[in-house]
Amino acid sequence: MGYVAVKGGTQAIEESIKRLKYERLHKEQVLETGQIEGGMRGLIDQVMSESSLYDEKLAALAIKQAEGNPEEAVFLLRAYRSTLPRKYCSKIIETGEMKVERRISASFKDIPGGQILGATTDYTHRLLDFNLMKETEQTVKEWLSSYASGNIPFDELQQDLDLVLPKVLDYLRKEGLIPPLENNDAEPDDVTRESLEFPSSRSQRLQILTRGETGAVTSLAYAVIRGYGALHPTVGELRVGSLPINIEHPNEARSGEDEYYIGEIKATEAEMLMPFMTEKDKGRKELEFEIGYGLCFGQNETKAIAMGILDNCLEHPDSSFPSHNEEFVLLHIDSVESTGFISHLKMPHYVTFQSKLDSVRKTKAANAEEREEVQAYE
Amino acid sequence: MKRKQRTEILIEGSHELAKSLANEIEQNYSVSVLQEPEHGLVMLKVRETSRKSLFYLGEVLVTECKVKVEGKIGIGIVKGDHSDLAYHLAVIDAAFLGDLPETKPWAGILEIEKYYIEQKRKAKNEEILRTKVSFETMDV
Repeated sequence: MGYVAVKGGTQAIEESIKRLKYERLHKEQVLETGQIEGGMRGLIDQVMSESSLYDEKLAALAIKQAEGNPEEAVFLLRAYRSTLPRKYCSKIIETGEMKVERRISASFKDIPGGQILGATTDYTHRLLDFNLMKETEQTVKEWLSSYASGNIPFDELQQDLDLVLPKVLDYLRKEGLIPPLENNDAEPDDVTRESLEFPSSRSQRLQILTRGETGAVTSLAYAVIRGYGALHPTVGELRVGSLPINIEHPNEARSGEDEYYIGEIKATEAEMLMPFMTEKDKGRKELEFEIGYGLCFGQNETKAIAMGILDNCLEHPDSSFPSHNEEFVLLHIDSVESTGFISHLKMPHYVTFQSKLDSVRKTKAANAEEREEVQAYE
Repeated sequence: MKRKQRTEILIEGSHELAKSLANEIEQNYSVSVLQEPEHGLVMLKVRETSRKSLFYLGEVLVTECKVKVEGKIGIGIVKGDHSDLAYHLAVIDAAFLGDLPETKPWAGILEIEKYYIEQKRKAKNEEILRTKVSFETMDV
């Protein structure tokens, strides 16, 4: 049965949209986008990452319009993104150039450059701070002033102030604990330009994982660790910091220092170590490490770690576990695709549902007739 | 000074500097705008460190402007919504491409701004490094 066009509801739809605006405004609070940008860093980062568009101001606007609903904000940003021309592709960003703001390893205590906690909720008590209800601009200024003056004596002579740090993996490669690798500069695929087909390429998988819905990526990675997968990961290195972006001149073929610096973005990178047993000559077994890779916009640590876990799962297809199945993982973690499909179930399905209802009625009527015939025969 | 370093100083430093340098050119030459500042996207190509292959991380909003000064086309491009800065960067880019005499003393001005940027970065890093862990071995 085909779809049948129906009319009606125009006025109701217009009033519904007004009602939506009323719900946003009826408490008569004007939420400035600057306030969202300044105070909702976690949500801004999540929305930028899932929408695959980096801009704090636009993310703040989308969050305001969506009344803080991330799935709606991501939808708005993805839609806006599709109206803009793609002017350039950046030069290759090497994450070793990250200006680190936070960097830890759960595998090694002593790492070159040290463990830098940066800003994290990891060591907070998770008790509601009711003082925040009384926070004023004055108290904020006072706190910032006392923070700037610092309360820990800092000995510059003992500390290197450079925060472009060596990577833990490079250290392991030098030690021979992970096999060395040459750079692979093959052009990546782009899932925003060409539809995904299976088997997917590594670049497609990583692109879909990095723009995946945070909760979905986290849930699937959690399932892997709980037994619906075959991995035992440890955080080799987790870092949060700024990555510089450079582009080539569109016409000049010069290289190196003639490129344009356009700014930097904040990102989270997770390198997950996965131990696995390999069989060497004469049946000798040896423990080796593989690396699962996660990188996403903003400070999004759970997502980056989860991405690293799923990356390694998808490198090792295993029909025993859905988390090792690329179709299962990649087709279900996109925010706009999954929420869009679930949401479309609210749209009118009158014709299809009526046809199902007709079938049920006919079946019931046929069954009733059959029962009557049997009873008459008896 | 190469373009990469120059644009980094002008973007990370005070935007007033870019404005004052561009104004100097505007006062002495005719600047024709070939492309008004407009928004667009730059796709970010990243190297992952597991297989050392490349993938696309996502796109970043940029503002881009193109101007012509003394026959040279300058491009100004910056992350985010910064129409004025994109225009000023384009004028400065064209001035350097044309090797205009006004640009000669700019190297020194940019070096001074670079010093201030480095000082700010050091102060920020100093704050971050206060969160560096100092391990102590426990007696068991």
